[in-house]
Amino acid sequence: MPEHILQLKDITMQFGGVVAVDSLSLYVDEGEIVALIGPNGAGKTTAFNCVTGVYKPTNGQVSYRGKLIVSNHPQGKMKTLYAGSDKDKYTQVLEPTPDKITALGIARTFQNIRLFKTQTVFENVLIAMHLHRTSNLFTATLHLNSKEEKQHHQRALELLEAVNLLDQKDELATSLPYGMQRRLEIARALATKPQLLLLDEPAAGMNPQETDTLSAFILDIKQQFKLSVFLIEHHMDLVMDISDRIYVIDFGKLIAHGTPAEVQDNPDVIRAYLGVEE
Amino acid sequence: MKAFKIILSLLLVASAVALIVFVGGALGNPDDVIARLDADNLAATDSKLQKARDRALESAQAGDREKTLRNIDRYVEGFGDQLELGGQNRLDLFFYRHGPSLIAVSIVVIVAAAALLVSALDSRGRYRKAAIYALLIVLLYAGIYIVENLAGASSMLMTVLKKGAIYALIAVSLNLLNGFTGLFSLGQAGFMLIGAYTYAIFTIATENRAQVYQYYNGGLVQFSLPPLVALVLAGLAAAFFASLVGLPVLRLKSDYLAIATLGFAEIIRAIFQYDGLGPLTNGSNLLRKFATFDSALFPFAVAGVCIALIAMLIHSTYGRAFKAIRDDEVAAEAMGINLFRHKQMAFVISSFFAGVGGALLAMFQTTVQASAFKSSMTYELLLIVVIGGMGSITGSVLASFLFIASSEWWLRFLDNTQMIGDFQVPLLRSGFRMVVFSAIIMVVVLFYRRGIMGDKEFSLKRLSQRFRRKGESRNA
Repeated sequence: MPEHILQLKDITMQFGGVVAVDSLSLYVDEGEIVALIGPNGAGKTTAFNCVTGVYKPTNGQVSYRGKLIVSNHPQGKMKTLYAGSDKDKYTQVLEPTPDKITALGIARTFQNIRLFKTQTVFENVLIAMHLHRTSNLFTATLHLNSKEEKQHHQRALELLEAVNLLDQKDELATSLPYGMQRRLEIARALATKPQLLLLDEPAAGMNPQETDTLSAFILDIKQQFKLSVFLIEHHMDLVMDISDRIYVIDFGKLIAHGTPAEVQDNPDVIRAYLGVEE
Repeated sequence: MKAFKIILSLLLVASAVALIVFVGGALGNPDDVIARLDADNLAATDSKLQKARDRALESAQAGDREKTLRNIDRYVEGFGDQLELGGQNRLDLFFYRHGPSLIAVSIVVIVAAAALLVSALDSRGRYRKAAIYALLIVLLYAGIYIVENLAGASSMLMTVLKKGAIYALIAVSLNLLNGFTGLFSLGQAGFMLIGAYTYAIFTIATENRAQVYQYYNGGLVQFSLPPLVALVLAGLAAAFFASLVGLPVLRLKSDYLAIATLGFAEIIRAIFQYDGLGPLTNGSNLLRKFATFDSALFPFAVAGVCIALIAMLIHSTYGRAFKAIRDDEVAAEAMGINLFRHKQMAFVISSFFAGVGGALLAMFQTTVQASAFKSSMTYELLLIVVIGGMGSITGSVLASFLFIASSEWWLRFLDNTQMIGDFQVPLLRSGFRMVVFSAIIMVVVLFYRRGIMGDKEFSLKRLSQRFRRKGESRNA
């Protein structure tokens, strides 16, 4: 069996006494679109941030293509405070910063769009190419890397064309309408040459029509750039439309896992979303 | 059109070369001019005039043009109405006086001709921009040279220009950090101090060391380096300290970074005055008698090259990464930009140029004392950056000259009592300048918070676009 492209094992994230994510395990396979859903405050974004290096999980491991990238066990104050499961399972500490995660080939977007405000659309994409530079400080300053610069410019234009933003390339990123900003964020993530794309609520704030367009868009770039996608989402239409598999969490715990059809009929999921019938 | 351009440029070159040859001749033999001034030998009867002539000839022999000119002026004045300066003599004197400026003009003409030639031959317009920029740069430096020759090297105008150029470099280096990378640092005076001291220590002539380091047995360093080498060394010393300071400090968030760097600058100032380091830093005494510059061209050249390097850095992929960090650290990191490494890079580079700027300031002042590098110096620079616009190189440069001109020159009259007729203007006395100056700064910061340039750059393209748009609206 081929290795999973992304695997989370027993990820627990505890803030003070609050266990935001409790022993979450999941995996994403090559070429899949996997969604993580759950009601507000279920711990989706926290789980996400444990993968991207923004948070250091209190306990558990993350591997990328079989290679361990994040690993942690309760340390310091958490030794006594820890309330999650699998307490003594892990001993290693691996805490990469977000830039190292990105360098591995995992790119992400943000729930509350984070574009570079003072830069144009084109520059936003160009900045993400910095990761794959071969020039050093001196050759770059003296502009001896014009060949590479030209390649980067070319590739940025291609990416903008792929997300259909070529006409807006010289506009200020923040002056774009909302849907376009979302697409730009994805283009910027693609510029880091990822193999796994993490989308944090890509349809947040979109109307049903825009959401439909987005579904098609995600499927399209997944094909075009040979990506695996792991996404968090609220919009059920989008999730049911494009996901191969869905994980559902509530109060930090995994409550269901399966294909969209399976998850839809799961009584636990219905209860979590609609409340218990009296 | 093309042939016309080529012929015109060749004609321009020919006339410029002719002018240089002619002026060169006039500059070569001032003795001749001096001898011819008094064709009737009226001076023979007057020992005073003879002495003046001898002095003029003497300095001409020594090749000191400025002194020769001064003596000739005195000599001519000594005659009063007796001497009839002929047209030929007037012309010779004019060429002798303004020869260097004329040569500068000829060089501008030659470069202009070359630019014209390029535009004629280069049908695809690939080198047009480079030609225009080359012409502008030569024009700027020739202009400074000519102004210096006309106004005199020690005039107020030149003082302001020199200090303005030095401050421009330091302000741009601070802008790289505060405006482009979004790191609020207040340590610039400390790095300037390191640069100034490094430069001074290594360029005091060996024979003067005993005198300068009189309390420390002639000091520790017993050799001196050429000024340009010492300038680079000054930058490297500042950069080295910056990399050490950066290790702990750059992990702090904005406000704490400002406090830590400010503290560093204060500590450095105290350390450099420490008696135990006397053999190196001369304790709290002045360092003097190190190599300095005469012409404003030197600070302009050094500052020009350094600012150009910073501008090129900002327009490279690293500069884009810096701006990304300024705009959104979290997103920048998620795009694979190593925050600490890039912040460290910006901090070290900024300090390098602050060090070079400090060395230039030492040359400008001709003496260095650690106690002068107070935090108020950093605040002045910060003001320049804010007034010019955070994130605008040209803004910082412009603001530096304006700031220095106001503080050193234009507002000086406020420090002296002024009389209008019998009425003494109230409030004007020593120190009032600073009051007015502070008020102006407050107004700027309150109402023009984005500064002169905002985060835009001054460029010919923008200027020409603006003019064109104005023209269009007028036509419409």
